Amino acid sequence: MDKNATRYNVQLYIYDLSRGMARNLSPIMLGKQLDGIWHTAIVAYGDEFFFGGEGISSCSPGGTMLGSPDTVVELGETEVSEEIFMDYLSSLGESTYRGDRYRLFEHNCNTFTNEVAQFLTGRSIPSYITDLPSEVLSTPFGQILRPILDSIHIAPPGGNVINGGRNV
Amino acid sequence: MADQGAADPGNNNNNTPEASEGTIIKVTVKTPKDKEEIAIAEDASVTQFKEEISRRFKAKQDQLVLIFAGKILKDGDSLSQHGIKDGLTVHLVIKTAHKAGDGGSTSASSSTSTQAGNTSTSSPSTNPSSTAGSTGTAAPPTQTPNILTGFGDLAGLAGMGMGSANFMELQQQMQRQLMSNPEMLSQIMENPLVQNMMSNPDLMRQMIMANPQMQQLMERNPEISHMLNNPELMRQTMELARNPAMMQEMMRNQDRALSNLESIPGGYNALRRMYTDIQEPMFSAAREQFGSNPFSALGGNSESGAQPSRTENREPLPNPWGPPNSSNPSESGGATTGSTSTTGGTNPSVSNPLGINPASLGNGMFNSPGMQSLLQQISENPQLMQNMLSAPYMRSMMQSLSQNPELASQVLMNNPLFAGNPQLQEQFRSQLPIFLQQMQNPEALSVMTNPRAMQALMQIQQGLQTLQTEAPGLMPSLMTGGVPGGIPGGIPGGIPGGIPGGIPGGMPGGMPGGMPGGIAGGIPGIPTGGGMPTENPASSPSSAGTNAAQQQLMQQMLQMFAGGGGGGSATTQTPEVRFQSQLDQLSAMGFINREANLQALIATGGDINAAIERLLGSQPS
Repeated sequence: MDKNATRYNVQLYIYDLSRGMARNLSPIMLGKQLDGIWHTAIVAYGDEFFFGGEGISSCSPGGTMLGSPDTVVELGETEVSEEIFMDYLSSLGESTYRGDRYRLFEHNCNTFTNEVAQFLTGRSIPSYITDLPSEVLSTPFGQILRPILDSIHIAPPGGNVINGGRNV
Repeated sequence: MADQGAADPGNNNNNTPEASEGTIIKVTVKTPKDKEEIAIAEDASVTQFKEEISRRFKAKQDQLVLIFAGKILKDGDSLSQHGIKDGLTVHLVIKTAHKAGDGGSTSASSSTSTQAGNTSTSSPSTNPSSTAGSTGTAAPPTQTPNILTGFGDLAGLAGMGMGSANFMELQQQMQRQLMSNPEMLSQIMENPLVQNMMSNPDLMRQMIMANPQMQQLMERNPEISHMLNNPELMRQTMELARNPAMMQEMMRNQDRALSNLESIPGGYNALRRMYTDIQEPMFSAAREQFGSNPFSALGGNSESGAQPSRTENREPLPNPWGPPNSSNPSESGGATTGSTSTTGGTNPSVSNPLGINPASLGNGMFNSPGMQSLLQQISENPQLMQNMLSAPYMRSMMQSLSQNPELASQVLMNNPLFAGNPQLQEQFRSQLPIFLQQMQNPEALSVMTNPRAMQALMQIQQGLQTLQTEAPGLMPSLMTGGVPGGIPGGIPGGIPGGIPGGIPGGMPGGMPGGMPGGIAGGIPGIPTGGGMPTENPASSPSSAGTNAAQQQLMQQMLQMFAGGGGGGSATTQTPEVRFQSQLDQLSAMGFINREANLQALIATGGDINAAIERLLGSQPS
């Protein structure tokens, strides 16, 4: 298995957008316990990559306004070189991960992270993250709020958009 | 280490789909833009796989990079060696030929060269220069994502970057955003809510005065306070702010007038003095508060010689010598309002002191997605919320709301949560005054931000839920008699719960200063003072379908408030005790059914007249 290939470590950074409020308030508001509103990013090749309302962005790890991640998950290693990865990201950013394709419930940062994680390592991200939208939507409150939340784009500032410039 | 895959015993080596011995597996090959299912022999080599792929994706084999489980599939490997089986997905990236060994190229060049390389991996529509394509498609989707991301940034900044969030800072951020994005400003201005606000000179003046910088300014320059107290001027300013076109007209007029001034001997100096003394501090003060500069015209108005026309001038070129008809404000107000919005302000009347047309509330600013995200951010940060609530604007807003329950109730009507249930609406309407007073209670506010209190509330909520399921009959008696016991967490729990509820509902207070968030947090959580349970059985059957769940949720929140209502108003008495005097009056009037009286009083919050109507309405005689 050792073929002189350089391997790069891939990590998943998980942030709680609610800063702990979800843990406290979700039982009241939603009727079920949600430990956080998760935003994730992939960290590889010394950079952090995430998808937001502006499209795919990158920054130095932990360099968005969100600060340090709540949890870091080691996804493993990849042989994919940075060059190939950037090619891949560019293609993604032109197609399914353009800024205007952001959908808070169906096509959000975690969707992106999951796809990239699978590309790089073959592994998915933990299911409690990807299950979050359906968890919320399965509550009556989530259903009520859906039209509003649908129009919210989460775009943690501090990143540079790959491919296409900011949507300003 | 397998070689070309020909060595597997007993297996045919050809890569045509129909092999007699080797099983064919279907492997999904996924590119960033596309995916295809490729049938290949299980024991095939990577090279063979690539051949198949290059045929299918119309790319050259050496451009293909196959990735599976984080490993790059090299030509010498076999599929089975990597564990590629039927139904699995292999990732494909199609490189451009010249990029081999060339690291760190910019994404722009890579994307253009990539698209030059692959012709049909993606649909032809994305082919034309990728960067142009991406920016082209990014720009046309209107300004909406623009504003959203603008707000998203802002909200992110405010909510996340500021640990001990200062509301003022948030406000300033908002101003900055507003100023940098004129589109947003005009959107806000067009909102009938905002316009109604601005059409009320008293309110405007109050808000302006509340700004400490303004106060300083006024001390230094008494002319400014004079200006503020001049209703004519105020009204004109508000029209200006409301109508950007008119504002531009005014500025143009003023500029022209000012330039005329210049030519007068000594005029230039006067101009300069004018600017430094008055306009500059006014600009910064006004900018703090309003995000635009409604006073820019006013700053020189009282000093300059020419009197700009006060009516909205629709002609392309103004007529400086035209009669400066100071038409009465209602007419020009009507004209302006008519031009910008259909539901303009109603004239202030006795019962409607703010002059706000209830029908115009509810839509608009709060449904703007940017504001939603802002509110969301605010709700996520309790400190922020507290700061916001203690901001002076909030106070005045709350006061005016508490004086005008009709207004607040109208606002609530638009909340979709209540839309389906008129009974709930009734209750809210009646409970409003109590609630608003509670909101003024600083203790209540501080408790709101106490996480432990909120947790306690949660527990209560859970307990109530359990009780409700276990013993539904028990609940009504519990509520009327028992729960009051001064639960301090009553309000806080409801508020954060109410905030998302408040978001869909339109709320008053549409100043760019961001007050909305606080009110939205405040109003939806309404105490019932125990009136809930009697309505409980009545209202649940009346709601239908998905509404039932929503109503229930609201009812639960209200139940929480039943205790909060008792605690917040600092009386832990049962309704009977509280309404003792009213009960006596009612029985003196001839309503002998004490139970019914009590319930009516509870439902109306102690309002005798309304209780009487209820009682009369329920009796068919």
